[in-house]
Amino acid sequence: MTHWIEKQRYIIDFTLSSLLRRKVKNFGLLALYTLIVFILASTMFFTYAIKKEAALILNGAPEIVVQKIVAGRHDLFPLAYVETIKNIRGVASVESRLWGYYYDSLVSANYTLLTPPGNDAAKPSAKTTVVENDSGGEAVKPLFELNGAKLEPGTLIIGNGIARLRAIGKDDYMPFRAFDGKVLNFRIAGVLSSQSELVSSDLMLITGEDFRKLFGIDNSHVTDLTVVVNNPSEVAMVASKIKKHLPDARPIIRDEILRTYDSIFNWRGGMMIVIFSAAVLAFVIFAWDKASGLSAGERREIGILKAVGWETSDVIQMKFWEGAMISLTAFFTGVILAYIHVFFTGSIVFEPALKGWSSLYPNFELTPFVNLEQLTTLFFLTVVPYTVATIVPIWRAATIDPDSAMRFTGE
Amino acid sequence: MIELMNVRKVFNAGNPSEFSALNSVNLHIAENQVTVLKGPSGSGKTTLLSIVGCMSRPSAGRVNLQGREITSLPERFLTDIRRKTFGFIFQQPNLIKGISVLENVMLPAYPLGEKRSQLKIKAMKGLSELNIANKAASKVEWLSGGEAQRASIVRALINDPHIIIADEPTAHLDSKLSYRFMEIIEKFKAEGKTVIITSHDPLVYESSMVDRVVNLRDGQIER
Repeated sequence: MTHWIEKQRYIIDFTLSSLLRRKVKNFGLLALYTLIVFILASTMFFTYAIKKEAALILNGAPEIVVQKIVAGRHDLFPLAYVETIKNIRGVASVESRLWGYYYDSLVSANYTLLTPPGNDAAKPSAKTTVVENDSGGEAVKPLFELNGAKLEPGTLIIGNGIARLRAIGKDDYMPFRAFDGKVLNFRIAGVLSSQSELVSSDLMLITGEDFRKLFGIDNSHVTDLTVVVNNPSEVAMVASKIKKHLPDARPIIRDEILRTYDSIFNWRGGMMIVIFSAAVLAFVIFAWDKASGLSAGERREIGILKAVGWETSDVIQMKFWEGAMISLTAFFTGVILAYIHVFFTGSIVFEPALKGWSSLYPNFELTPFVNLEQLTTLFFLTVVPYTVATIVPIWRAATIDPDSAMRFTGE
Repeated sequence: MIELMNVRKVFNAGNPSEFSALNSVNLHIAENQVTVLKGPSGSGKTTLLSIVGCMSRPSAGRVNLQGREITSLPERFLTDIRRKTFGFIFQQPNLIKGISVLENVMLPAYPLGEKRSQLKIKAMKGLSELNIANKAASKVEWLSGGEAQRASIVRALINDPHIIIADEPTAHLDSKLSYRFMEIIEKFKAEGKTVIITSHDPLVYESSMVDRVVNLRDGQIER
């Protein structure tokens, strides 16, 4: 056993010195290999973590959103429909929402304006609290948090992205041009917490009264409704009943939104991989050439080793260690660098491609979620093929006769 | 000690370029003697030496080593015999570039898994005996021709083989270094080792320490 361990040590030592003898080539290969793992792992970490993050945040979103559709397009929702929906069996509560978009030509950005639940003056049961939470004790992130700021008529609460873009903060004023051309000036009552910035970066909270003034919406209409269902397994059933009772309504269930997020980020991640596939391919060719081809010098060396008493299996082990050292170093370095890149530097390199294109980039720190399954896949896609490719020349090495060293006459 | 019976070696068998390097060679090599295989280029000296040293197999015939038939042994066993029984000195030093003289010398012992400290002592002793201990840490590309030759001799001896095989050892040495080499061979003989050399250098085959000269021509032994 001691002999076996000592033998492995000798072989590893010799492999290391072999690698160092071809420093430039091997370091070049290592750098390229690490870069490929870094790109793939970054894309993987980012898309997985962002999907996880979005899913967690959307867990706090309404189960069903109901919109009115006219000629296939979204229209204002009549409040008269609320009672019909409330009467559907299984519906726990119905909340109306006022929201829309405002284009700010000054900074070329689109803001999302939203009246927090219970803040529409058209509704008698107006509440002042706007923090959404509480869904049965699950660890759910609120859709937005106000940190105690109170929303009153004439005020706004803005998302972090807007505050950054416009360089404004609490108690500053922000002018808006209303639907009739009048200028409305709102005071900033507060800024939304950065925790939910992924979805609230471009968000503005506004009272129902101000919203109606800004967009010219009368008191008998809202943008859409949110519906809470008693039994989560009945969500689809309730949605179909809404559709049946109100043929011009379109119920959207939360799972559909989650699926959309999933496909958006899968698509972006996929695009990244397609773009970098050329680099991956170049690497594969280079690695294959390096791993499977034996240079004249290497063939000569194997001949000498066999002539002085190394077995083919010793040479195989040496090549195996060589491949394993390079690929494992590249894999772990690439994965660690990708982890730092995605979770500590906010994916600085791939930000535009992965987060989407906008003047209002959400600036958020992703919670590190690492999917072991994906890591294993990456391992099998990078380390294993390379290590196997290094074994290939060994079959060739096996054909090198030890007496080739005797016949070598050139130095 | 080593017996070859009707040994034949054919290269590229079945191809138009088929070439027979050895034909019906019968040879007995005695223990503790210096045997020289002499002959012109292409006479089959190196082929014969590689078969004797278990580096290649004959196409036909049998080889006995110390009474044991080795022709039909699998590669693993042949390698083991080669490692423990033979020490090879090639025409070129055939040292591996980029690593030190000491590492080169220790290479044949790596598969045996001997303790590094002991192996190092053994290697340093060998280098001292051939007066190149001061070059142990140097890279092989910095050695002179004679030093490289001596380093390759120390490497051949690292596993303490009974039989030393040398293929045209003086082909690239000047007369002074060739005489020095023959002195080393004399020392091996004195230690009880068997030496087989291929050469067409008179300095080698006319040397007084040579016990037997075997003449080869066109793949056959001349009587």
